[in-house]
Amino acid sequence: MMEREPFFFGIRHLSPAGAFYLRQLLARRRPRMVLVEGPCDLGDEMVHMRKTQSQPPMAVLAYTKEAPIRTILYPFASYSPEYQAILWCGEHNVECRFMDLPTDVFLALPAREDIPEEEKAGEEERFQVYRALDLRCGEDGHETFWERTLEQAASMEGYREGANLFGRYIRELTGENDRDWEEIRLREAWMRGQIRKAVAEGIPPEEILVVTGAYHVEGLQNWEQMPDPEEEKLLQELPRAASSHTLMPYSDYRLSSRSGYGAGNKAPAYYGLLWEALHGKDPMYATYCYLARIAGFQRKSGSPVSSAEVIEAVRLSVELAQMRGGQIPALRDLRDAAVTCLGGGHFASISLAVADTEIGTRIGSLPEGVSRTSIQEDFYRQMKEWKLEKYRDITAQDLALDLREKRNVASEKSAFLDLHRSFFLHRLRVLGVSFATQGKHVQDNATWAEHWQLRWTPEAEIQLVESALKGDTILQAVAFQMKETMEGAGNLGSMAQVIEDAFLCGMPAAAGQATDALAHKAVDAISLEELARTVERLSVVIRYGNIRQVDEKPLVPVLGRIFYRACLLLPGACVCDDGASNVVITAMQQLNGAALAHDFLDQEGWKAALSQVADRDDLNTRISGFAAAVLLERGLMDTRQLQTEVGRRLSPGMPADLGAGWFEGLAMKNRYALIARLSLWESLDGYLDTLDQEEFKRALVFLRRAFADFTAREKDEIAENLGEIWHLNGSQVSEVLNSVLGEEESGLLESLEDFDFDL
Amino acid sequence: MEKNQVQRLPAEQLFQEEINALIAAETDPVPKGWKMSPRSVRTYICGGKAGNMSITPKYIGQERLVEIAIATLVTDRALLLIGEPGTAKSWLSEHLAAAINGDSTKVIQGTAGTTEEQIRYSWNYAMLIAQGPSLEAMLKSPVLTAMETGTIARVEEISRCASEVQDALISILSEKRVSIPELGMEVPAQKGFSVIATANTRDKGVNEMSAALKRRFNIVVLPTPADLDAEMEIVKTRVEQQAGGLDLNAKLPSAEVVEKVCTIFRELRCGETLDRSQKVKATSGVLSTAESISLLCNSMALAGSFGNGDITDYDLAAGLQGAVVKEEEKDAIAWKEYLENVMKKRGSRWSGLYRACRELNK
Repeated sequence: MMEREPFFFGIRHLSPAGAFYLRQLLARRRPRMVLVEGPCDLGDEMVHMRKTQSQPPMAVLAYTKEAPIRTILYPFASYSPEYQAILWCGEHNVECRFMDLPTDVFLALPAREDIPEEEKAGEEERFQVYRALDLRCGEDGHETFWERTLEQAASMEGYREGANLFGRYIRELTGENDRDWEEIRLREAWMRGQIRKAVAEGIPPEEILVVTGAYHVEGLQNWEQMPDPEEEKLLQELPRAASSHTLMPYSDYRLSSRSGYGAGNKAPAYYGLLWEALHGKDPMYATYCYLARIAGFQRKSGSPVSSAEVIEAVRLSVELAQMRGGQIPALRDLRDAAVTCLGGGHFASISLAVADTEIGTRIGSLPEGVSRTSIQEDFYRQMKEWKLEKYRDITAQDLALDLREKRNVASEKSAFLDLHRSFFLHRLRVLGVSFATQGKHVQDNATWAEHWQLRWTPEAEIQLVESALKGDTILQAVAFQMKETMEGAGNLGSMAQVIEDAFLCGMPAAAGQATDALAHKAVDAISLEELARTVERLSVVIRYGNIRQVDEKPLVPVLGRIFYRACLLLPGACVCDDGASNVVITAMQQLNGAALAHDFLDQEGWKAALSQVADRDDLNTRISGFAAAVLLERGLMDTRQLQTEVGRRLSPGMPADLGAGWFEGLAMKNRYALIARLSLWESLDGYLDTLDQEEFKRALVFLRRAFADFTAREKDEIAENLGEIWHLNGSQVSEVLNSVLGEEESGLLESLEDFDFDL
Repeated sequence: MEKNQVQRLPAEQLFQEEINALIAAETDPVPKGWKMSPRSVRTYICGGKAGNMSITPKYIGQERLVEIAIATLVTDRALLLIGEPGTAKSWLSEHLAAAINGDSTKVIQGTAGTTEEQIRYSWNYAMLIAQGPSLEAMLKSPVLTAMETGTIARVEEISRCASEVQDALISILSEKRVSIPELGMEVPAQKGFSVIATANTRDKGVNEMSAALKRRFNIVVLPTPADLDAEMEIVKTRVEQQAGGLDLNAKLPSAEVVEKVCTIFRELRCGETLDRSQKVKATSGVLSTAESISLLCNSMALAGSFGNGDITDYDLAAGLQGAVVKEEEKDAIAWKEYLENVMKKRGSRWSGLYRACRELNK
C-alpha cells in the first residue's frame, strides 16, 4: 500500500545544500502542490519573485498600516530553499503556497522588547541547548557545526535525516519551556490546517511536498489529527493588525546584519560560493575562491600576497578540517587558515578582506513596477512631474538648479520648476535616500543656485521602501522624520538644522513647529558656540527664505532672543586658552555676520559686548585683539581709541605672548585699515625693541602666525611702512620680507617650532 | 643519571606515561615521521582521555590555536609562535615536539651570539685539521639532525638572533635541504621534518624578522589569557605542577591568593581596574602569567623555608615587590599609587596584603 502522507522536507533557511537537494527532490517526486513556510497572504509576491529580471537577494517587507509602525521581513537569497521551491514550481507549473499564519497576525504579536524580563527565561533555555550541542560536537559554534554536518552532506537523504534529527532534538530539549512555545504551537496548528485544506481540495496527500524549518517537521507530521477545538478558537481570535506588504531588493550586507529568521547568515557571499560549488563545480571550489579572493583583496590594498602563500593556506585549511573529521574546509577553517598564512597571525590585518569576501556587496534587483509601496508610487509620480526621470540611472549625473522665478514661461509650475525640484531633492536628502547629494556652491553668494549630483542605486530604492514606514507620501514621511528628530534633539544646533531643513524642503508648517520647540529650548543652558551656530543657521534662513517662497517671519523674534543671549554670554566665554580661542573667534564671526545682516537684532547689545571684550585685560588677549578688529571694521572704534589701545597693549613690559597674541587677533581683520595706520607699526616696532632675547623669540611665534596669510602685496605695503619708520627704502625692505628664507634662517625658525612656552 | 636528580626533565620524559597511553590508544592515521595522530597530539596538549588514562591539559587557552599549530606541522610548514613574554610559547613548542616526535631536545637557543654555523653545521677543528673534511669531523646542528631523521627542530627566541643568522633558515625551509660543499654532498630533509620557532614581540633587544623569513612560516599569535578566570586556571595548574617537582614544604596557594595575584597583575598590565572604573599607571615590566606563576612558587618557598608552610601576606608582598618594581624610579611610584588608590580601597579582604606591601615601601 502506498503511503498516504505528504513529504516533509525540513530545512534550514538560507542553506545552499538544502536548496540544492530540495530541487533534486522536487525533480524526482514531481509533487502536485508545494507548501512553503511563510505567511500565507504573501503568495501574490511569488509571481514577481519568478520574473527573469528579479535577482536575489530580495525580501518581502510586511508593515502595519497604522502607527505604531511594525515591520517584518522575509529575506530570500538564491540559496534559500524556499526561493528555489518557488522557482521550481513556476518552471513546472505546479501550485505553490505559503502556509504560515498571515502577516496581520505576526505584526500584532507583542514586540520582543515589550516582553517583561521574567518571561525571557525561555530564550535562555534554547540558547543553552545550542551551547550544549556545540560542546557535545566539539565545535566552537553551531554555525560551524551546521556547516560541517549539513551543508557538507553528501546526499539528499543525508541532509534530510540530519536536519530532521537536529530539529527533533532541539524540540525535545527545549520543549514547552521555549519562550515562543505558545506562538509555535499556534503556528503549527495553523500550518496543519493548511495541509488539511489542501487535501480537502482534492490533492492526494502523497502528492504534497512541505518545505519547512527542520524544527517544525515533527509538529506538522500529525496533520491528519482532528484539530483541538480550543486551539481552533484561539486561532480564530488571534489579534490582527491590518498590514501591507511589498517585495523589495535586498543586499548581501543586510542579509548578514539582520535576518528575518532565527537562523541568521553571517557570510552571505561565502554561502553564495557554496551554492555555486554545488552546481557541477569542484567540491573545493568555495575553498579556492574564498582564499584567492582574500589574497586578491590584500594585493589590491597594497599588501603583497604570493600564490605560494594561498596554496599553503589551502593546505592548512584542509588539514584543519581533517582534525575535525571533515574533508572539505568549513568557513571557520578557511578564516583561520587565512589569518595564519595570509595575515601573519593577526586577524586585524585581513579583517577588511574577510568582510569583503564573506559578506560581499551584491545587491538584488527587481523589474520595474514590482516593488511599489505608496511612497514609491509618490516618488515615481514626482520624478515624472518634476521631469527628473532621465536621472534615474546608475551613472552619476550633475544637475544645476536656478531657484528664481522664470518669467517667460506660461504656467506657474514651470516658472518654479527648479524650486520644486530643489524641495523634492532636499526632502529625499532628509529622509536619508541616497539618490541626490548636494554639491558646494560654485559662486559664493548665489543663493538662487544649487548643484546636485544624482545617482540611482538599488540601495537608494531599499532606503525609499524603508521610508514607507514613516508615511505614505514623501511629504508625510519627511514631516514624520523631522518631528522625530526634534523630539530626540539634544542640542540647539540640531534643532536649528531641522528648521533649516524645513525651509529647504519647502515645509512651512514643519518649520513653524520646529521654531516653537526651539524657542522653548533656548531657555536652557547652552554654550556660546552652539548659540552662534544656531544664530548663523537661522540668519541664513531668514535672509534667503523668500527665494524659497516660505514665510520666515515667525523666526525673527526667536533669532532676536538667541542673539541677545549670545551677547550676554560672550565676555564670559573669552576666559580661555589659545586653543579654545579659535572656537570663540569663529562664534564671534558668526554673530557679527548675523548682526550685519539683520537690523532688528540688538545692535547696542552687540557693541557693548564687543567693547567689553576689547577693553578688558583679564580675557584671552587674542580674542580681545579680534574684538578690537571687529569694532574697528564697523567704525565703532576711531583712530584715537585704537592708538590708546595699541599703546596700552603693546607697552613695554607686557609679556610677549600677551602683546603679540593681541596683535595677532587684531590682524585677523581689515588689514588695509591697519596697514594704512603708520602709528600702529611704530608702536609695534617700539614694543619689539623693548623685549629681551628670550621674549623676542616668543613674540616671533605669534607674529609669524599673524602674518602667515598676508599676501605679497600686503607685505609690500607693510614694508613701506617699516621703511618709513626705519628710514630705509621701501622696496629694499620689501625684498627682504618677501624673499625665500635662507638655510640659516629656516634653521632658526625650525628651532622656534618646538619653542617651549613653559620656560 | 637518576631521573629525580635532574632539575627539569624534558617534557617527553615528564609525561612519558601519557604519551605511551596515547600511542597505545591510537585509532586515527599517523602522519609519516610522527608518533601519534594530529588528534592525539591535540588531546595531549589540551587534555582529555586516552583509553582509561586521563591526560592533563598542558596548554590552557584557545584550543583552536593549538589545532592550527598542529595542522601547520602536518602540512610540513614551519610554525612560528609569536606572543608577549610569558604566553607559553616555548612551553607549547616543547610539548608539540614531545608529542609528535617523543623528543623535544633538538633545540637552538637564539641569542645575540648565535652564529650561522649553529643553525647549519660546524666542525670539530682538531679533527678537521688532522684528517681534512669528513663526516666524522662535522658537527651537525639540531636542525640538520632533525632533517636527517625527519623530526622537528625548535628554534627558541629566533628574534634575538642577528638578522643574517635568522635568514640562514630561509633556504633550509624553502628547499628543505642543506648542501655541504666541503664534502660535496647534500643533506635532504626526510618526511616529517619541520621547525617550530618562537619569537617575542615586546622585549627589548629583539631583531625584526625579514618578510622573506616570515613568509616561510605559518604564524600563530598566542594571546594573553582572555579573562581573570582563565588566567587563574592557568596559574593554579602550573603552580601545582611546578611545586610537585620542587619539594617546597609549603601548602599550595589558596584560590584567594591566586586571585589576588592575578588581579594585581592583570590590572597593572591593562592599565585599568578589572571593573574598568579606574585608570592605573602601567609598569615597565610585562607582568606575564609566567611571572605570576614563579611569584607564587617563590612565595611558597619563602613560606616553606622560613614560615609554617602557609603563604602569608608578607611572603606575597615580598614577591610582588620584586615582580612589579623592575625599574626603581618609575615602577616604585606606580606601585605605591596602585597600593593607595586601588588596593587600599578594596576592603578587609585585601587589607592584610595592603599593609604588608606598604610596610616594604616605607
